Amino acid sequence: MSDIEPKPDRRKLGFRVVRAFLFTAAYAVFWFIIWFLTYTFLASFPEYPQLFTTIACGLLFFTFAITLAEDTIYKYILKAIRAFFLIAYLTYATKGGILTLNLENIGFTVEFVPLLALMIVINLLDIARALLQAIEFAAQSPKD
Amino acid sequence: MRLVTRTLGWVIVLLWIVTLALPISVALSLMRLAEGKNLGVQEPTFNFFDGNISVNMPVYINNTGFYDISEPNVAIKIYKVKVNTTIVSLSKSLPSIPAGQMVNTSCSFTASLMEIFHKDRTLLTEDTNLNVNAQLSFKVAYTIAFNASLNFSTRWGAPFHNISCVLAYNDTTHVFSISISFNNHAFFPINGLLVVKLYNSDNIQIGETSIGLDVPSGGNFQETVEVAADPSKITDRGFIRLFFTELNILEMEWTLL
Repeated sequence: MSDIEPKPDRRKLGFRVVRAFLFTAAYAVFWFIIWFLTYTFLASFPEYPQLFTTIACGLLFFTFAITLAEDTIYKYILKAIRAFFLIAYLTYATKGGILTLNLENIGFTVEFVPLLALMIVINLLDIARALLQAIEFAAQSPKD
Repeated sequence: MRLVTRTLGWVIVLLWIVTLALPISVALSLMRLAEGKNLGVQEPTFNFFDGNISVNMPVYINNTGFYDISEPNVAIKIYKVKVNTTIVSLSKSLPSIPAGQMVNTSCSFTASLMEIFHKDRTLLTEDTNLNVNAQLSFKVAYTIAFNASLNFSTRWGAPFHNISCVLAYNDTTHVFSISISFNNHAFFPINGLLVVKLYNSDNIQIGETSIGLDVPSGGNFQETVEVAADPSKITDRGFIRLFFTELNILEMEWTLL
Protein backbone atom coordinates (compact mmCIF):
# COMPACT_ATOMS: atom_id res chain seq x y z
CA MET A 1 0.00 0.00 0.00
CA SER A 2 2.68 2.40 1.07
CA ASP A 3 4.65 1.71 -2.15
CA ILE A 4 1.72 2.58 -4.42
CA GLU A 5 0.53 5.67 -2.58
CA PRO A 6 2.75 8.75 -3.04
CA LYS A 7 4.66 9.86 0.03
CA PRO A 8 3.31 12.98 1.77
CA ASP A 9 6.50 15.10 1.04
CA ARG A 10 6.44 14.05 -2.63
CA ARG A 11 2.81 15.07 -2.84
CA LYS A 12 3.72 18.34 -1.21
CA LEU A 13 6.53 18.87 -3.71
CA GLY A 14 4.22 18.07 -6.61
CA PHE A 15 1.68 20.54 -5.26
CA ARG A 16 4.43 23.16 -4.96
CA VAL A 17 5.59 22.60 -8.55
CA VAL A 18 2.04 22.90 -9.87
CA ARG A 19 1.49 26.03 -7.80
CA ALA A 20 4.79 27.52 -9.06
CA PHE A 21 3.79 26.71 -12.66
CA LEU A 22 0.40 28.37 -12.21
CA PHE A 23 1.94 31.47 -10.63
CA THR A 24 4.56 31.67 -13.39
CA ALA A 25 1.91 31.20 -16.09
CA ALA A 26 -0.17 34.02 -14.63
CA TYR A 27 2.90 36.22 -14.48
CA ALA A 28 3.77 35.27 -18.07
CA VAL A 29 0.34 36.50 -19.19
CA PHE A 30 1.08 39.80 -17.44
CA TRP A 31 4.41 40.14 -19.33
CA PHE A 32 2.66 39.21 -22.57
CA ILE A 33 0.19 42.08 -22.07
CA ILE A 34 3.06 44.46 -21.27
CA TRP A 35 4.80 43.36 -24.49
CA PHE A 36 1.70 44.10 -26.58
CA LEU A 37 1.20 47.47 -24.92
CA THR A 38 4.78 48.65 -25.27
CA TYR A 39 6.04 47.09 -28.50
CA THR A 40 4.40 49.60 -30.85
CA PHE A 41 5.83 52.57 -28.89
CA LEU A 42 9.28 51.15 -28.35
CA ALA A 43 9.78 49.46 -31.73
CA SER A 44 12.23 52.25 -32.64
CA PHE A 45 14.73 50.81 -30.17
CA PRO A 46 16.33 47.89 -32.03
CA GLU A 47 17.57 46.25 -28.83
CA TYR A 48 14.16 46.43 -27.12
CA PRO A 49 12.96 42.85 -27.96
CA GLN A 50 16.17 41.35 -26.59
CA LEU A 51 16.07 43.47 -23.42
CA PHE A 52 12.41 42.68 -22.88
CA THR A 53 13.02 38.94 -23.30
CA THR A 54 15.87 39.12 -20.76
CA ILE A 55 13.83 40.86 -18.05
CA ALA A 56 10.70 38.80 -18.70
CA CYS A 57 12.54 35.45 -18.70
CA GLY A 58 14.65 36.45 -15.70
CA LEU A 59 11.69 37.50 -13.58
CA LEU A 60 9.61 34.49 -14.67
CA PHE A 61 12.43 32.23 -13.56
CA PHE A 62 12.61 33.99 -10.18
CA THR A 63 8.81 33.81 -9.79
CA PHE A 64 8.93 30.06 -10.39
CA ALA A 65 11.92 29.52 -8.10
CA ILE A 66 10.62 31.72 -5.27
CA THR A 67 7.16 30.10 -5.35
CA LEU A 68 8.80 26.68 -5.37
CA ALA A 69 11.03 27.64 -2.42
CA GLU A 70 8.06 28.80 -0.32
CA ASP A 71 8.50 28.11 3.42
CA THR A 72 12.23 27.62 3.04
CA ILE A 73 15.15 29.98 3.61
CA TYR A 74 15.99 29.76 -0.12
CA LYS A 75 12.98 31.92 -0.85
CA TYR A 76 14.69 34.91 0.78
CA ILE A 77 18.05 34.15 -0.78
CA LEU A 78 16.37 34.01 -4.20
CA LYS A 79 14.63 37.33 -3.46
CA ALA A 80 17.99 38.92 -2.70
CA ILE A 81 19.49 37.45 -5.91
CA ARG A 82 16.49 38.78 -7.85
CA ALA A 83 17.15 42.28 -6.50
CA PHE A 84 20.83 41.99 -7.56
CA PHE A 85 19.70 40.83 -11.00
CA LEU A 86 17.36 43.85 -11.27
CA ILE A 87 20.16 46.26 -10.30
CA ALA A 88 22.49 44.79 -12.93
CA TYR A 89 19.76 44.63 -15.56
CA LEU A 90 18.49 48.18 -15.01
CA THR A 91 22.00 49.61 -15.12
CA TYR A 92 22.85 47.70 -18.30
CA ALA A 93 19.52 48.13 -20.11
CA THR A 94 19.34 51.88 -19.48
CA LYS A 95 23.07 52.32 -20.22
CA GLY A 96 23.62 53.96 -16.86
CA GLY A 97 20.45 56.02 -17.09
CA ILE A 98 21.05 57.55 -20.51
CA LEU A 99 18.88 56.39 -23.40
CA THR A 100 19.61 57.55 -26.93
CA LEU A 101 17.46 57.22 -30.02
CA ASN A 102 18.85 58.23 -33.40
CA LEU A 103 16.57 58.71 -36.34
CA GLU A 104 17.80 60.01 -39.72
CA ASN A 105 18.87 63.57 -38.87
CA ILE A 106 17.34 63.81 -35.44
CA GLY A 107 18.71 62.42 -32.21
CA PHE A 108 16.94 62.18 -28.86
CA THR A 109 18.58 61.58 -25.50
CA VAL A 110 16.80 61.06 -22.20
CA GLU A 111 18.93 61.18 -19.07
CA PHE A 112 17.37 59.84 -15.89
CA VAL A 113 20.35 59.00 -13.69
CA PRO A 114 18.61 60.17 -10.44
CA LEU A 115 15.67 57.91 -11.24
CA LEU A 116 18.00 54.97 -11.87
CA ALA A 117 19.78 55.72 -8.60
CA LEU A 118 16.40 55.60 -6.84
CA MET A 119 15.63 52.22 -8.47
CA ILE A 120 18.99 50.88 -7.27
CA VAL A 121 18.28 52.14 -3.75
CA ILE A 122 14.88 50.41 -3.81
CA ASN A 123 16.52 47.13 -4.82
CA LEU A 124 19.17 47.52 -2.13
CA LEU A 125 16.35 48.00 0.39
CA ASP A 126 14.77 44.86 -1.04
CA ILE A 127 18.02 42.95 -0.46
CA ALA A 128 18.16 44.23 3.12
CA ARG A 129 14.56 43.17 3.67
CA ALA A 130 15.18 39.71 2.21
CA LEU A 131 18.21 39.25 4.47
CA LEU A 132 16.25 40.35 7.55
CA GLN A 133 13.46 37.95 6.61
CA ALA A 134 16.00 35.16 6.15
CA ILE A 135 17.49 35.86 9.59
CA GLU A 136 14.01 35.92 11.12
CA PHE A 137 13.12 32.67 9.36
CA ALA A 138 16.31 30.98 10.54
CA ALA A 139 15.80 32.24 14.08
CA GLN A 140 12.34 30.70 14.30
CA SER A 141 12.19 27.25 15.84
CA PRO A 142 10.12 24.55 14.04
CA LYS A 143 7.56 24.83 16.84
CA ASP A 144 7.06 28.53 16.13
CA MET B 1 12.14 42.31 13.41
CA ARG B 2 8.79 41.59 11.77
CA LEU B 3 7.77 45.23 12.15
CA VAL B 4 11.00 46.38 10.51
CA THR B 5 10.59 44.06 7.51
CA ARG B 6 6.95 45.06 7.15
CA THR B 7 7.85 48.77 7.25
CA LEU B 8 10.62 48.16 4.75
CA GLY B 9 8.10 46.42 2.51
CA TRP B 10 5.78 49.42 2.59
CA VAL B 11 8.66 51.84 1.94
CA ILE B 12 9.71 49.73 -1.06
CA VAL B 13 6.16 49.71 -2.46
CA LEU B 14 5.84 53.48 -2.00
CA LEU B 15 9.19 54.16 -3.63
CA TRP B 16 8.31 51.93 -6.60
CA ILE B 17 5.04 53.84 -7.05
CA VAL B 18 6.90 57.17 -7.03
CA THR B 19 9.62 55.85 -9.36
CA LEU B 20 7.14 54.54 -11.92
CA ALA B 21 4.68 57.43 -11.61
CA LEU B 22 7.34 60.09 -12.22
CA PRO B 23 8.34 59.13 -15.80
CA ILE B 24 4.70 58.51 -16.74
CA SER B 25 3.61 61.92 -15.44
CA VAL B 26 6.62 63.58 -17.10
CA ALA B 27 5.64 62.00 -20.43
CA LEU B 28 2.04 63.21 -19.98
CA SER B 29 3.35 66.66 -19.04
CA LEU B 30 5.41 66.86 -22.23
CA MET B 31 2.47 65.68 -24.31
CA ARG B 32 0.34 68.48 -22.86
CA LEU B 33 3.10 70.96 -23.63
CA ALA B 34 3.45 69.73 -27.21
CA GLU B 35 -0.25 70.00 -28.06
CA GLY B 36 -1.82 73.26 -29.27
CA LYS B 37 0.24 76.40 -29.63
CA ASN B 38 2.17 76.20 -26.41
CA LEU B 39 5.53 76.46 -28.14
CA GLY B 40 6.39 79.00 -30.78
CA VAL B 41 9.38 80.38 -32.61
CA GLN B 42 9.08 83.64 -34.47
CA GLU B 43 11.01 84.54 -37.58
CA PRO B 44 14.70 85.09 -36.81
CA THR B 45 16.37 88.41 -37.61
CA PHE B 46 19.97 88.64 -38.81
CA ASN B 47 22.20 91.60 -38.09
CA PHE B 48 25.68 92.32 -39.34
CA PHE B 49 27.58 94.95 -37.39
CA ASP B 50 31.24 95.66 -36.77
CA GLY B 51 32.45 92.31 -38.07
CA ASN B 52 29.99 90.40 -35.91
CA ILE B 53 26.97 88.54 -37.08
CA SER B 54 24.04 88.18 -34.72
CA VAL B 55 20.89 86.11 -34.98
CA ASN B 56 17.91 86.95 -32.83
CA MET B 57 14.99 84.53 -32.59
CA PRO B 58 12.00 85.37 -30.35
CA VAL B 59 10.61 82.29 -28.56
CA TYR B 60 7.53 81.81 -26.38
CA ILE B 61 6.75 78.78 -24.22
CA ASN B 62 3.49 78.25 -22.37
CA ASN B 63 4.26 75.53 -19.85
CA THR B 64 0.92 73.74 -19.53
CA GLY B 65 2.61 70.66 -18.09
CA PHE B 66 2.69 69.53 -14.45
CA TYR B 67 6.36 70.22 -13.83
CA ASP B 68 8.82 73.12 -14.08
CA ILE B 69 11.12 73.12 -17.06
CA SER B 70 14.62 73.97 -15.90
CA GLU B 71 18.01 74.56 -17.50
CA PRO B 72 16.72 75.05 -21.06
CA ASN B 73 19.64 75.50 -23.42
CA VAL B 74 20.06 75.92 -27.15
CA ALA B 75 23.40 75.09 -28.74
CA ILE B 76 24.46 75.42 -32.34
CA LYS B 77 27.62 73.95 -33.82
CA ILE B 78 28.68 74.60 -37.38
CA TYR B 79 31.38 72.47 -38.94
CA LYS B 80 32.81 71.81 -42.34
CA VAL B 81 31.64 68.60 -43.99
CA LYS B 82 34.93 67.45 -45.51
CA VAL B 83 37.48 68.25 -42.81
CA ASN B 84 35.06 67.93 -39.85
CA THR B 85 36.51 70.96 -38.06
CA THR B 86 34.27 73.10 -35.90
CA ILE B 87 33.95 76.57 -37.36
CA VAL B 88 31.64 78.08 -34.81
CA SER B 89 30.11 76.84 -31.59
CA LEU B 90 27.34 78.87 -29.95
CA SER B 91 25.31 78.25 -26.84
CA LYS B 92 22.48 80.13 -25.17
CA SER B 93 20.80 79.39 -21.84
CA LEU B 94 17.14 80.32 -21.54
CA PRO B 95 15.28 81.14 -18.32
CA SER B 96 13.50 78.35 -16.43
CA ILE B 97 9.78 77.99 -17.11
CA PRO B 98 7.68 77.26 -14.02
CA ALA B 99 4.64 75.02 -14.43
CA GLY B 100 1.52 76.91 -15.52
CA GLN B 101 3.41 80.00 -16.66
CA MET B 102 4.19 81.52 -20.02
CA VAL B 103 7.64 82.81 -20.81
CA ASN B 104 8.53 85.12 -23.67
CA THR B 105 12.22 85.24 -24.39
CA SER B 106 14.60 85.59 -27.25
CA CYS B 107 17.34 83.32 -28.35
CA SER B 108 20.20 85.44 -29.63
CA PHE B 109 23.60 84.35 -30.85
CA THR B 110 26.56 86.50 -31.83
CA ALA B 111 29.60 85.26 -33.71
CA SER B 112 32.66 87.11 -34.88
CA LEU B 113 33.19 86.66 -38.59
CA MET B 114 36.89 87.37 -38.14
CA GLU B 115 37.19 84.43 -35.74
CA ILE B 116 35.35 82.22 -38.20
CA PHE B 117 37.61 83.24 -41.08
CA HIS B 118 40.71 82.82 -38.92
CA LYS B 119 39.68 79.21 -38.36
CA ASP B 120 39.14 78.55 -42.06
CA ARG B 121 40.31 81.13 -44.58
CA THR B 122 38.93 79.22 -47.55
CA LEU B 123 35.48 80.33 -46.38
CA LEU B 124 36.41 83.82 -47.62
CA THR B 125 36.86 82.78 -51.20
CA GLU B 126 35.20 79.39 -51.72
CA ASP B 127 31.53 78.43 -51.57
CA THR B 128 31.06 75.23 -49.61
CA ASN B 129 28.61 73.03 -47.73
CA LEU B 130 28.53 73.41 -43.96
CA ASN B 131 27.00 71.02 -41.46
CA VAL B 132 24.87 72.47 -38.70
CA ASN B 133 24.11 70.67 -35.45
CA ALA B 134 21.35 72.34 -33.43
CA GLN B 135 20.60 71.03 -29.95
CA LEU B 136 17.82 71.77 -27.49
CA SER B 137 18.17 70.46 -23.95
CA PHE B 138 16.08 70.91 -20.82
CA LYS B 139 15.16 69.21 -17.57
CA VAL B 140 11.66 68.29 -16.45
CA ALA B 141 10.87 68.04 -12.74
CA TYR B 142 14.55 68.83 -12.10
CA THR B 143 15.20 65.10 -12.56
CA ILE B 144 14.80 63.91 -16.13
CA ALA B 145 16.90 65.62 -18.78
CA PHE B 146 15.92 65.67 -22.44
CA ASN B 147 18.10 66.49 -25.39
CA ALA B 148 16.99 66.76 -29.00
CA SER B 149 19.53 67.36 -31.73
CA LEU B 150 19.03 68.09 -35.38
CA ASN B 151 21.68 67.79 -38.10
CA PHE B 152 21.33 69.50 -41.42
CA SER B 153 23.55 70.90 -44.09
CA THR B 154 23.57 74.47 -45.36
CA ARG B 155 25.26 76.23 -48.24
CA TRP B 156 27.93 78.79 -47.40
CA GLY B 157 28.38 81.61 -49.88
CA ALA B 158 31.89 83.10 -49.87
CA PRO B 159 32.07 86.91 -49.53
CA PHE B 160 35.06 87.13 -51.89
CA HIS B 161 34.07 84.40 -54.30
CA ASN B 162 36.08 84.16 -57.50
CA ILE B 163 38.46 86.95 -56.44
CA SER B 164 41.04 87.84 -59.05
CA CYS B 165 43.71 90.48 -59.63
CA VAL B 166 45.14 91.64 -62.92
CA LEU B 167 48.31 93.74 -62.73
CA ALA B 168 49.70 96.22 -65.20
CA TYR B 169 52.92 98.14 -64.64
CA ASN B 170 53.86 101.52 -66.03
CA ASP B 171 57.69 101.67 -65.98
CA THR B 172 57.83 105.43 -66.56
CA THR B 173 55.65 106.42 -63.64
CA HIS B 174 56.45 103.24 -61.59
CA VAL B 175 52.78 102.75 -60.91
CA PHE B 176 51.02 99.40 -60.76
CA SER B 177 47.43 99.32 -61.98
CA ILE B 178 45.60 96.48 -60.26
CA SER B 179 42.18 95.40 -61.41
CA ILE B 180 40.33 93.57 -58.61
CA SER B 181 37.08 91.69 -59.03
CA PHE B 182 34.96 89.32 -56.97
CA ASN B 183 31.37 88.31 -56.26
CA ASN B 184 29.84 88.57 -52.82
CA HIS B 185 28.00 85.26 -52.40
CA ALA B 186 27.61 85.77 -48.65
CA PHE B 187 24.25 86.56 -47.05
CA PHE B 188 25.71 89.73 -45.50
CA PRO B 189 27.14 92.89 -47.10
CA ILE B 190 30.87 93.60 -47.06
CA ASN B 191 31.88 96.93 -45.56
CA GLY B 192 35.44 97.92 -44.74
CA LEU B 193 38.87 98.58 -46.13
CA LEU B 194 40.55 96.33 -48.65
CA VAL B 195 44.31 96.79 -48.35
CA VAL B 196 46.51 95.98 -51.34
CA LYS B 197 50.19 95.35 -50.62
CA LEU B 198 52.90 94.74 -53.18
CA TYR B 199 56.12 92.86 -52.38
CA ASN B 200 59.23 92.20 -54.40
CA SER B 201 60.91 88.80 -54.80
CA ASP B 202 62.78 89.35 -51.49
CA ASN B 203 59.43 89.74 -49.74
CA ILE B 204 60.07 93.44 -49.09
CA GLN B 205 57.04 95.69 -49.39
CA ILE B 206 57.30 98.04 -52.36
CA GLY B 207 53.90 99.70 -52.28
CA GLU B 208 50.51 99.80 -50.58
CA THR B 209 47.06 101.23 -51.10
CA SER B 210 43.58 100.72 -49.74
CA ILE B 211 40.10 100.88 -51.08
CA GLY B 212 36.77 101.14 -49.28
CA LEU B 213 34.39 98.28 -49.93
CA ASP B 214 30.63 98.48 -49.82
CA VAL B 215 29.38 95.41 -51.63
CA PRO B 216 25.83 94.25 -50.93
CA SER B 217 24.94 90.59 -50.56
CA GLY B 218 24.88 89.01 -54.01
CA GLY B 219 26.66 92.00 -55.57
CA ASN B 220 29.69 92.08 -57.83
CA PHE B 221 32.79 94.18 -57.31
CA GLN B 222 35.19 95.31 -60.01
CA GLU B 223 37.57 98.20 -59.62
CA THR B 224 41.06 99.25 -60.57
CA VAL B 225 43.43 100.69 -58.03
CA GLU B 226 46.84 102.22 -58.55
CA VAL B 227 49.85 101.59 -56.35
CA ALA B 228 52.91 103.78 -56.59
CA ALA B 229 55.93 101.54 -56.11
CA ASP B 230 59.37 102.37 -54.81
CA PRO B 231 61.48 102.01 -58.02
CA SER B 232 64.66 101.14 -56.11
CA LYS B 233 63.03 97.99 -54.70
CA ILE B 234 61.20 96.74 -57.79
CA THR B 235 62.29 93.33 -59.03
CA ASP B 236 61.19 91.27 -62.05
CA ARG B 237 58.77 89.29 -59.97
CA GLY B 238 57.04 89.57 -56.63
CA PHE B 239 53.86 89.03 -54.68
CA ILE B 240 50.58 90.83 -54.23
CA ARG B 241 48.62 90.34 -51.04
CA LEU B 242 45.07 91.49 -50.38
CA PHE B 243 43.92 92.07 -46.81
CA PHE B 244 40.45 92.65 -45.47
CA THR B 245 40.43 93.72 -41.81
CA GLU B 246 43.84 92.11 -41.28
CA LEU B 247 42.80 88.86 -42.94
CA ASN B 248 44.89 87.78 -45.88
CA ILE B 249 42.30 86.92 -48.47
CA LEU B 250 44.52 86.56 -51.52
CA GLU B 251 48.19 86.04 -52.26
CA MET B 252 49.46 85.69 -55.80
CA GLU B 253 52.68 86.09 -57.72
CA TRP B 254 53.27 88.75 -60.34
CA THR B 255 55.88 88.95 -63.05
CA LEU B 256 57.00 91.89 -65.13
CA LEU B 257 57.04 91.17 -68.83
